[in-house]
Amino acid sequence: MFVAPNSKPITPRVLSPKPQIPETIGSTGVPGAAGRFGLVLILLLLISSSAHSQQPAEQFDDIASRAAGARDQGNLPLAIELYSQAEGLKPDWAEGWFYLGLLQYSSNAYPAAIEAFNHLLVLKPGAPPALALRGLCEFETGAFDDSLRDLEEAVAKGAANEPRNEQIIRYHLAQLLARVGRFQDAVTQYQFFADRRIDDPDLLLGLGLAGMRNRMFPKDIPAEDRPIYEAAGRAGYTFLAGLTQEADSQFNQLFERYPSAANLHYFYGALLFSHAPDLAVGQFRAEVNLVPSNTENHAILAYSLMLASRYSEALPEAEAALAGNPGMEMSQLAMARSLAETGEEKRATELINHILKLDPSSREAHMALAVVYARTGRREDAYRERAACLALER
Amino acid sequence: MSAQLALLWRGSVPWKTTGARNAVGRWLIAFICIGLRVWEADAQSRPMASHAPTCATCHAGVAASYVHAPMHHALENPGADPVLETHPNLSTVQDGYTYTVQTKDGKSTYTVTDGKDSLTVPIRWMFGQHTQTWVLEKDGHFYESMVSYFPREDGLGTTPGDGRLNPHTVTEALGRVISTWETLQCFNCHATEAVDGTRLTLDRLRPGVECERCHAGAIEHMADAAKDNFKTVPKKLRPMDAAEAANFCGQCHRTWDTVVRSHWRGEVDVRFQPYRLMNSKCFAANDRRISCLACHDPHQQLSHDEALYDQKCLACHGAGKTAIDGKAIKACPVSKDKCSSCHMPKVELPGGHVAFTDHFIRVVHPGDAYPN
Repeated sequence: MFVAPNSKPITPRVLSPKPQIPETIGSTGVPGAAGRFGLVLILLLLISSSAHSQQPAEQFDDIASRAAGARDQGNLPLAIELYSQAEGLKPDWAEGWFYLGLLQYSSNAYPAAIEAFNHLLVLKPGAPPALALRGLCEFETGAFDDSLRDLEEAVAKGAANEPRNEQIIRYHLAQLLARVGRFQDAVTQYQFFADRRIDDPDLLLGLGLAGMRNRMFPKDIPAEDRPIYEAAGRAGYTFLAGLTQEADSQFNQLFERYPSAANLHYFYGALLFSHAPDLAVGQFRAEVNLVPSNTENHAILAYSLMLASRYSEALPEAEAALAGNPGMEMSQLAMARSLAETGEEKRATELINHILKLDPSSREAHMALAVVYARTGRREDAYRERAACLALER
Repeated sequence: MSAQLALLWRGSVPWKTTGARNAVGRWLIAFICIGLRVWEADAQSRPMASHAPTCATCHAGVAASYVHAPMHHALENPGADPVLETHPNLSTVQDGYTYTVQTKDGKSTYTVTDGKDSLTVPIRWMFGQHTQTWVLEKDGHFYESMVSYFPREDGLGTTPGDGRLNPHTVTEALGRVISTWETLQCFNCHATEAVDGTRLTLDRLRPGVECERCHAGAIEHMADAAKDNFKTVPKKLRPMDAAEAANFCGQCHRTWDTVVRSHWRGEVDVRFQPYRLMNSKCFAANDRRISCLACHDPHQQLSHDEALYDQKCLACHGAGKTAIDGKAIKACPVSKDKCSSCHMPKVELPGGHVAFTDHFIRVVHPGDAYPN
């Protein structure tokens, strides 16, 4: 049985699943077909509750009734056919588009399902369930950019508020985020699974890939490459679950087993970074030593050193990062603040002004400027810049 | 007596000695340390570091005063906690749960019951010298106690911030579950040697903020000093300017950067004095007159003497005083005393029980909202 937020429970009677689809998502299963079915039922309820037809014509009423009957009996081909006919008669029937898309999604007819959800989203712009389902369909058709856009918007609008929906949505979203190089955002999606102790090899693999900055989907990883990513994912999962001491041991074992593997130290550093930048420094430093040519490694090391107030150490790292990529804002900010703190106010000011020209609301740039003013005795200007930072936060 | 001997030794023995005098010096240190142990044990009933010498061997005066300083009591020792020893039976009812804190034979327990179920855990970590909150451990999880001791009421009340909790079981009613990171931060600031990287090292923990916690390198310096090597002297903290001091003290009291980056807002941030101070218009990074250390000596008990603080304000706002850039500084047109009573108002934490002095120094108008 599935429960939608703010609604009464509904039972699988509403839509019979395909025979191969289990009725519920197992607590340890990877969100897949089962999760999909769960999502379907929830979204169905959400849509149907808001989509009321108005005095349909007799013919439409008859077809719609037969469509619902076919759907209840699990006769998906017939139900799809009847919903299609009904929409031909009454194209502004939102509920019909939803069921049509839903049934097509359940039948793996993804392009057709996308078409149905397109119609629905014209009638109900931004409807989170429709966005989520369209995003999942787009994932299956390989329209990954569209899928990412839809799933992100759906999550932002609350489509993932029900834990069992959240599994399938977040798992796909995490893969898509990693695919476009938004690794930290991807790792954040896995926090949900760690919080609920939802554990599965594919989840761990996905987390390991995201953490180690690999854009590939888990299904595309060759079998021989899986162990390191799964083990990294396991250590990351342990960390996200709050078991930091165990995670520390697991990561250290990995460092011993794979001493030259790129991005392992980075992964651990990135996890530590949000809690304790000073602890992350050691990991980022190890990564820089392993792969000194990677500009991003220098940048994150510089930034974490800056956050840890180790400005003189941050400077050379920021310089190395900027030499490889002069436009990287993280390196610029680390450089600007470190220059300000180490007495090079003139260079700092030039860099800060450059950053603020591109991004006037850069909090870190305003903070660095406040330091420049403070260090040069411009008390009132420093006060004004600190106030500007606080105003940005409001 | 031992403290006097330590001073005598320090004054009479040259810092760089060799041979027999060196050996005599070492014997003297050992002798003095035995005395100091007795003195410190009398003073505080605290466990001592197992190896001589101690910081007090040479820095007897500051060590003697620091015994009474709040930071030294940031975490109290079971069996020697003045709050619980003098309040052996504390009790309160909050949201249908009855909380009892009992102390007997130097051991304290924290019990919560809803009348049907009951849960008792030992109190091992007592945070705070006056207002006191307990960190409890159950099944591998750490909890911030739902109720704390408040001197103002001389009794228990809801721990600030925990009033929003809505416990459904006695375990939930125990208190707020603290994340691993928060636990590390709590112990790292309230105790010494409690944290090693990502690990809690409670087996090594020494309650309170001990010398080496602020004076990095103190242990090495002490060991070297025993060998007449005085080259490894910890960095002096007194010369820090206002910004450096705010950042140094802010490691625990929270820096301006930390509060801004963490998006902490509202009355609760009145606890973060370096942040509040740096919001003041009069804060000048390079002027020691507005440094934390200008008003507070961490080795001493906190002074509540307003006249003392008036002197600090008048160091800038007194007649003829100028800013560090030479510009004239305004004098207060209203008064020359009790400055902090107007310009640094007390702010009650949400939920009541305790008020903090707002270190955001400013002209406060009646009815002003709390400035973030």
